[in-house]
Amino acid sequence: MSNILAKAEPYLFLTPAFAILLIFLIFPLFWNIYISFHDVSFITILKNWEYSGWTNFVDLLNDPNFYTSLRTTVLFVAGSVALQFTIGMLMAVLLSQKVRAAGVLRAIFIIPWTISAVIAAFSFKFIFDYNFGILNYIFQQIGLQPVGWLSDPNIVIWSLVIANVWYGTPFTMLFITAGLLSINPSLYEAAVIDGATKFRSFLGITLPLLKPFIVINLILITMWSVNFFDLQLVMTGGGPLFASTTASLYMYRQAFEFGLLSKGAAAGLILIIINISVAFVYLKLLKR
Amino acid sequence: MNMNKKVSFTALFLIVSLIFTMTSGFVFPVSAQNKQVSLTAIVAEPKERWDLLFNTALQKLKQKHPGLDIKLDYRVLPYDATRTQILTAMAGKTPIDLISADQIWLGEFAQGGFLTDLSDRAKTWGRQSDWYQTNWDGGKYNGKVYGIWAWTDIRSMWYWKDLLNKAGVNPESLQTWDGYLAGSKALSNALKAQGIQPMHLVGASHSPDMWYPYLWMLGGEILKQKSGHPTKGTYWYPSFNSTQGVKALGFLKQQVDAGIKPQVNHFWGQEFADRKFAVMLEGSWLLGTFPRDQWPTINHKVGMLPVFPVPNKNTKSTTMMGGWILSIPQTSQNKDLAWELLTTMVDPSVLTPMLQKEGYLPTQKPIGEGPYAVKLNATIPYYKEMISMIPTAHSRPNIPEYPQIADSIKQAIDEVYYGMKDPKQALNDAAAKSAKALGW
Repeated sequence: MSNILAKAEPYLFLTPAFAILLIFLIFPLFWNIYISFHDVSFITILKNWEYSGWTNFVDLLNDPNFYTSLRTTVLFVAGSVALQFTIGMLMAVLLSQKVRAAGVLRAIFIIPWTISAVIAAFSFKFIFDYNFGILNYIFQQIGLQPVGWLSDPNIVIWSLVIANVWYGTPFTMLFITAGLLSINPSLYEAAVIDGATKFRSFLGITLPLLKPFIVINLILITMWSVNFFDLQLVMTGGGPLFASTTASLYMYRQAFEFGLLSKGAAAGLILIIINISVAFVYLKLLKR
Repeated sequence: MNMNKKVSFTALFLIVSLIFTMTSGFVFPVSAQNKQVSLTAIVAEPKERWDLLFNTALQKLKQKHPGLDIKLDYRVLPYDATRTQILTAMAGKTPIDLISADQIWLGEFAQGGFLTDLSDRAKTWGRQSDWYQTNWDGGKYNGKVYGIWAWTDIRSMWYWKDLLNKAGVNPESLQTWDGYLAGSKALSNALKAQGIQPMHLVGASHSPDMWYPYLWMLGGEILKQKSGHPTKGTYWYPSFNSTQGVKALGFLKQQVDAGIKPQVNHFWGQEFADRKFAVMLEGSWLLGTFPRDQWPTINHKVGMLPVFPVPNKNTKSTTMMGGWILSIPQTSQNKDLAWELLTTMVDPSVLTPMLQKEGYLPTQKPIGEGPYAVKLNATIPYYKEMISMIPTAHSRPNIPEYPQIADSIKQAIDEVYYGMKDPKQALNDAAAKSAKALGW
């Protein structure tokens, strides 16, 4: 009897975590799949939900705006991840050197991450505004023409990337800092004795030992950038001409602006597949 | 010693709490006997108007029901969040007693079965004839009353007198399309150095709202009834891509070609009050961006023409009418009391002071034409001119598919703004998408 209890003990301890996972992750996921195969909208939500097969997915794949949103997502994610990672890594490495007031600087740099995304979005909306924005004001003061940061379809996505980089970089900085702190300093001392330069130590010691941190960080910031829609919603509403409608915003608008909950759910499923694929690629890279 | 102090403090706290609990029952015996009723409401910003309305209406309601301890919990949400919050709350069967709905949301809410049919209550109430017909009809969907249109707004042309003077532009000349474009050029030349733009052109999510008046003045319509719908027999079909629609969108293109920049951010008149634009086609709420103490003399600085520019002088101008409808959700657990609250809120004696303070326009004849009108006319600048626009004003369709249709039209307008398509092609594409959304 006690043997059985001993065997069951780990599972009992796992029960609360599994229950939370079931309620908040697995159930909503299956509910989302269920909705995406039915005809559910704001108009029919209190009525019978008719089975609609693949109709919602077909509708989605026939919508040219969905493809535009996928292209926009690729630009937004690639720009955000590349810049967030590079700047965050650079900041973490620099602050890990013997810098005066490194702690204070870290605390200052982390501020954007502590701010609500909506507040950050409102701030950038005003910074980038064509008429009222501080950026165009500076441009005009130095004799440059004002730029349509949020009104030019070719520029708007990069304005969003800038806002997302400002908002998300501190996370990478913190995460990589944690990784750097986990490296045994004696390795660097040994490298110095062996005559390695700082750059050589970085390539030979820091980067390989940071690899798990880098991959996990890349997975997280990629997923967050794919799913992020607060900035786009507040700063541009997805316009002009869908140039800033990422797939997550497309999903939100279908579900909550147009009330097409099933179509939104179908878009959500495609987003999940994108996220899983990205994580899979990164994890494959980690195992190399 | 410390322990003793802690025990004494705890004992003292318990005794005081006990005495307070016991005496409060004796001091307020009436409130203890009263039945407590909590009403809940979700309404859209700005908050001040609701504070004014709810406070007065609640007082009146309490006077009517001395035996009830009525409490009102109202949440004021930003415009964009209001619709989603109301829908998700009602879909989740959260009890809500009163909501403010934009006129265009009514069909969706009613069709979804979220709203209480108020037809019988409205009949017994007997105030239907007090409403302007368009405004009363705006609260109906499929022949049933689902809401009471509380107040409205119209869009008109606002301008800074000194800036037009400086550019030598006669405001009257802005009333025609040609005059408007010529005025833009003159203003642009005169005001460039000051960083002031001549005309405001909406490029934000609601840009269709500022295009419809041109469509309507040419005799066009957004949607028309058509037979042969696969499931509904006769149903709405897009008609905004008519020749009138193409001509109307052509005028927006002419504005862009003349150098007027579409504005993706909209600050609801604040940009005009901040003198970033010399002329702005904007809603009557623009007045609210000026301090109240400036209202009596505002006509010295700011001019208003109750028109949208027309293609020629033979065309009659028109405008778009919006506003807020008060409705009772199906989930309300206090429908009778909620109806009483609603009708008290739209009572002229309660509503007029709010309209007067916020500068909104009435939907009821007793306020628009009676003694209350004198009050409003004395307080709200250009009140008479704004009221004069109501008879020719149109409202948008309040059918459930409207958000998708508006989005397609917005895309067409953007495509023309950014030179990707000509007006005809853009509108035809939008009409095809809208037809699909309507189930054709």
